[in-house]
Amino acid sequence: MSQIALSRRQALLAAPVLLSAPSIAQAQPRAIKLGIIQPVTGALAQDGEYGRIGAELAIADINAGGGIKALGGVPIEMVFGDARSTPDGGVAEVEKMQAEGVLAIVGGFASPICLAASQAASRYDLPYIVDVGVSDQIVTRGLTNTFRFGPGFGTVTASALDNLVAINDAAGKPSRTAVIVHEDGLFGSGMARLLNAELPKRGFQVLETISHPTPSRDMSNVALRIRALNPDLIIPSSYYAEFVLLSQTLQQRRIRPKGIYCILNGAASNFRFVREFPEAANLVMDCNHWADPRKAKTAELRRRVEAQGRFWLYNVPLNYSAVMLFADALERAGRADRGALIQALAATGAGFDSHIMPYGPTQFVNGQNQGGKPVNTQVQNGDIKVIFPRDFADAQPVYPVTG
Amino acid sequence: MTARETLPILGFLIGAVLVSLFVTSNVVLNFLVFTLILAIAAQGWNLLGGYGGQYSFGHAAFFGMGAYVSAILQQRFGVNAYPAVAFGIAAAAVLGYAIGAMVFRAGLRGSYFALVTLAFAEVLRILANATEITGGAAGLLISLNLGAGNLQFADRSSFLILGAVLLALAMLITLALEKSRLGAQLVAVRENESAAAALGVDILAVKLRAISLSAALTGAAGALYAQYFLYIDSNIAFGTWISVEALLAPIIGGAGTVFGPLIGALILQGLSEGTKLLIGKIPGLDLIIFGVLLILVVRFPLHRIPGLLAARWRGKGAP
Repeated sequence: MSQIALSRRQALLAAPVLLSAPSIAQAQPRAIKLGIIQPVTGALAQDGEYGRIGAELAIADINAGGGIKALGGVPIEMVFGDARSTPDGGVAEVEKMQAEGVLAIVGGFASPICLAASQAASRYDLPYIVDVGVSDQIVTRGLTNTFRFGPGFGTVTASALDNLVAINDAAGKPSRTAVIVHEDGLFGSGMARLLNAELPKRGFQVLETISHPTPSRDMSNVALRIRALNPDLIIPSSYYAEFVLLSQTLQQRRIRPKGIYCILNGAASNFRFVREFPEAANLVMDCNHWADPRKAKTAELRRRVEAQGRFWLYNVPLNYSAVMLFADALERAGRADRGALIQALAATGAGFDSHIMPYGPTQFVNGQNQGGKPVNTQVQNGDIKVIFPRDFADAQPVYPVTG
Repeated sequence: MTARETLPILGFLIGAVLVSLFVTSNVVLNFLVFTLILAIAAQGWNLLGGYGGQYSFGHAAFFGMGAYVSAILQQRFGVNAYPAVAFGIAAAAVLGYAIGAMVFRAGLRGSYFALVTLAFAEVLRILANATEITGGAAGLLISLNLGAGNLQFADRSSFLILGAVLLALAMLITLALEKSRLGAQLVAVRENESAAAALGVDILAVKLRAISLSAALTGAAGALYAQYFLYIDSNIAFGTWISVEALLAPIIGGAGTVFGPLIGALILQGLSEGTKLLIGKIPGLDLIIFGVLLILVVRFPLHRIPGLLAARWRGKGAP
């Protein structure tokens, strides 16, 4: 019978290893806590709810796929916070999530919430991935914890103008004149100014710029003016309710331009509008966030969302992709450490392919993904199709609209 | 104003300092800072509404003016935060005087006064939403530059002390007013404007002084909000939410009292956060329960509960 004899020296040498064994076993957390902030009450409740669905689906997929493999397969646990559609609500949730020990936060939806919440998170070096908020201020403050996978306002508007020219050129330049209809807040007014400056340079004559307040109860005068001007294109910059009202009024009065071309429109890429007002919505074009229709995962995700009795809105794929970005960076970081995660997020490259957005290769500069671009969609027979850029399109543009 | 009368305010200040020293949870500190900001705004409303009986529905105008002037001076003109906040408070006071001069000269009282103040706040909200200098709908972001010299603190506890000092000052001003000739005249105006005028009180001058002071206090709350969150937009600064919170807190806590706004703000925020903490898993349910509790609190104000119980007791004992 052999005996293992340990000398005092061997025992002393072995002691630190034995003592540290439990801590090694505990080094991997049982679950990685990920904070999801969305406004699920208040004015932005619908968007927040869809953002939450996107994040939930991504977490479910990651966990079903074996969790974070670099950490021994630990699952992701969602810590959800309702921002109540206000920036201070977002900040309060960041504080709660910090107390709960989340590794990172995803979401915010509206730019004001994203600005305030990411700033609060920066106090704790807490990585923050913005899901939608397009304000260019979000990524120009020098905050090293803040990342945005989607495009900002500047990129969206530049792409919208370039894409308009490309679509018009491809159709043989049927449109030469345009009327801009905009809400009179800074979003609409700023967009109208930009369009007035840029459209003539691209060969379009702006016949008139018509503003309207938000909320508006009647668009008859706007429609009558458009009828009198008879433009080739109508370019609206309005929120959901006003755009729905405008498109319905145009339909009722049989005003049929060669195209209605929206930019970051609240309704034109929204299935609620398409389902509730199919005739008014038909053939409206929009330049906005949208999922990549070529990816099989997009169709599967859409089926899962619609199976819940929900619409397919861009908040779902954007949040799904933002959570996937978090998981990808965590795999590369190899440890549940905020600093390492921030470094991994900043170093994300073209290898990140588990997202479902129609973007170019991922590359972050000052927290902004340079590959993030909007696409052009068009409502076609009750569905929203991507019509441009061609690389991502699942339908041809119906343009100019005839009949 | 005697030393004995100021003791509770001193006690509040010492309590706030102790909390800042011993409470480490940023969730709690954030809750308290936000509550103090609301309490300062509410103290402003209390001065005009509680003591003067002029129920404003538009104190957002003063809150927003304080916030915007302070933020614009810092961001657009590079002014240091301390003078910027001071200018913000002064601008709110001037706005208060201007609105007062128009409204009180026109002889508007009661619900007419309430509606006109609401309209002023709305006009300012729309202007702020459409003007370049305010950042329009995109809002205005104060650059993150942590340091006491910029009135930005890395820790929430420093903000708690700042908020507590400002609220203590507001309470001291209210207490001084309560004991002053102006305070007595203001109460006289509240109780019976015609009688006060008959006794020789210059109604317009009293109301103008009260609205200016009230606006300055609420403006200070706005400037503090901007400095704490470092971001404002038209809906935050001039939104109806702050008008409602500023008038609800004193009504719940005790209008026309020095501590009423603080007590009311604590109850309001405590109920709001408490329900969210307990029932936050189902979105919106916490707000429904908060609404119900709010109705109950307004129907049965806490400071009246001992009296109500006593009356019930007496009622039972009666033959």
